[in-house]
Amino acid sequence: MRTKKKNRGITALKARYGWICVAPWALGLVLFFIWPVIQSVVYSFCKVNLSAGGMNITFLGLDNFKYIFMENANYLDFMVESLVKFLYSFPVILVLSLILALILNQRFRGRLFFRALYFLPVIIASGAVLKTILSSTAAGVSNMQQDESIAMSMFSVSELVTSLGLPQQMSSYFVTLMDGITGLIWNCGVQTVLFIAGLQAIPPLLYEVSRVEGATSWEEFWFITFPMLSRVIVLVSVFTMVELITDPTNKIMDQAYAFMRSQFYGESSAMLWSYFLIVGVLMAALLGLFKKCCLNKWE
Amino acid sequence: MQRILPVKKRGSRGKLKRAQTIPLAIGRYILLISIGYLVLYPVIYMISSSLKPVSAYLDASIIYIPREFTFEFYEFAIRTIDYWDALGSTFLYEMASAALEVMMCSFIGYGMARFKFKGKRFFDVMLILLILIPTQMIITPMMMNYSQMDVFGIGGLFHSLTGIDLRPNILDTVWTFYLPSLLGVGLRAGTLLYIYIQFFKGLPQELEEAAWIDGAGLFRTFFSIALPSSSVVFTTVMIFALVWHWNDYFLPIMYLSDNFPLAVKIYDIESLLTLQNEWGTYASISTKGAACFLFILPVLVVYLFLQRRFVQSIDRVGITG
Repeated sequence: MRTKKKNRGITALKARYGWICVAPWALGLVLFFIWPVIQSVVYSFCKVNLSAGGMNITFLGLDNFKYIFMENANYLDFMVESLVKFLYSFPVILVLSLILALILNQRFRGRLFFRALYFLPVIIASGAVLKTILSSTAAGVSNMQQDESIAMSMFSVSELVTSLGLPQQMSSYFVTLMDGITGLIWNCGVQTVLFIAGLQAIPPLLYEVSRVEGATSWEEFWFITFPMLSRVIVLVSVFTMVELITDPTNKIMDQAYAFMRSQFYGESSAMLWSYFLIVGVLMAALLGLFKKCCLNKWE
Repeated sequence: MQRILPVKKRGSRGKLKRAQTIPLAIGRYILLISIGYLVLYPVIYMISSSLKPVSAYLDASIIYIPREFTFEFYEFAIRTIDYWDALGSTFLYEMASAALEVMMCSFIGYGMARFKFKGKRFFDVMLILLILIPTQMIITPMMMNYSQMDVFGIGGLFHSLTGIDLRPNILDTVWTFYLPSLLGVGLRAGTLLYIYIQFFKGLPQELEEAAWIDGAGLFRTFFSIALPSSSVVFTTVMIFALVWHWNDYFLPIMYLSDNFPLAVKIYDIESLLTLQNEWGTYASISTKGAACFLFILPVLVVYLFLQRRFVQSIDRVGITG
């Protein structure tokens, strides 16, 4: 009797409201998220055959993983390649978007214009166009045996290199670097937006106090801005990781889909999950390192 | 009030450090402009190449602005990517599901932010996983499930008992896009939900409490009190959802077999161009530029209108809590 009485009233009502709100999501999660995740993890340990009546699943143990790591010719190379790409893109994107956010968050003439400009990648760049725009020069002209790319057409790199008296090999290195940077900057859009939102959420009071105490801007950054941003940094890291994994130029994903199209579902799932896990562990390690270093610093 | 205060403080500090501020400002502009160049360059190149006649490529004196403009590549691009049909299909599949997603996620996010209930921890964990695991990872079982749409295996059980297959194949229909959006697990729904939840957590609760005491139910409170005060977060989420759906080429490639939206056509433009390769290399560069520009034009126009509100809403939405 008593417990029933307790359960009535505003708390119980709110709990019921909560469930009403979440109910469709719960259904969606089970149907379109949890169940498929379980299925694809199971597939990665199995041999999956599609037949007329449905599918046959035979348990293989670790054979799929053995196949992709030991026997498949390309998987390991692609893996190393995209991990290397991940390792250099990730910090560059993070640092660059933080710097951009710090600058765009200040008050100066033309701030609105620059903000609109730097949010442009948010609007345009997601995969398809970026791929076409960035490769349009390269792909088009390479048919004519000229290795031109976006950086090549931006400035004449080879002339620059010769006029500086550097060896010729440098020029191709510069070109790759410039191409990489353009792509990376185009990947910074959402991250910059998230960082700006995070910067806005820091109470201005903290800065006022620190100014009264006579802190320099450098100290302000390291002791106020950076610690206050730690949650955003985690959010941005996760977002960046997902972006980098689902990048249209990612060869591992391409290979996995090619396998899927030729109905090697088990191998394809194994490829996807082992890649995801390795990147995930890598990122967890990075975040752990970040947490440890920063916590040590702040305490 | 809040806006005036920091400006004042800045001014008084500026006087003290005037000598330091000027080089800093110059450095800031140099950095902003040079990175801005990198951002704008591909766009400028795209627009310029789309307007250049082929002869302009061979003329070394012309880099960006040709002597005469041509719009023939726009016509060609419209024919190549089947612009109007593809645009219609973008609206049918992607824009509609973006709208559904924005509305549904607001409701779910509101529930997650406002109410305490049993099992909320589970949903918090699920939210993180939903952000973390992209659909790309689980596309195989998703496609298989869609080809035999089933709820909790009931249809399958029915099938094995009676031999009548009630599981419809919803691949190639709008439902592959609408259903997940309606249930809050559509394209990047995790991120949208996260933004909503953070926003509603920061929204003062007193008005809603008053409404409950006055006897308003959940839906009444949500629609007439919570929603009207959250236009800021709507702008942000709408822009994100719109843009992500507009640019999404992956799901349509997987789920549809024809009538592809625009993003797919842009993604595939290389092969579309080789299919009807009547012109040379330069023409194909120009056509690509024209097609890309046509593709981003609608979003760009919407962005120009919403830009100011978007930029301001970023400041106030409190994505990060």
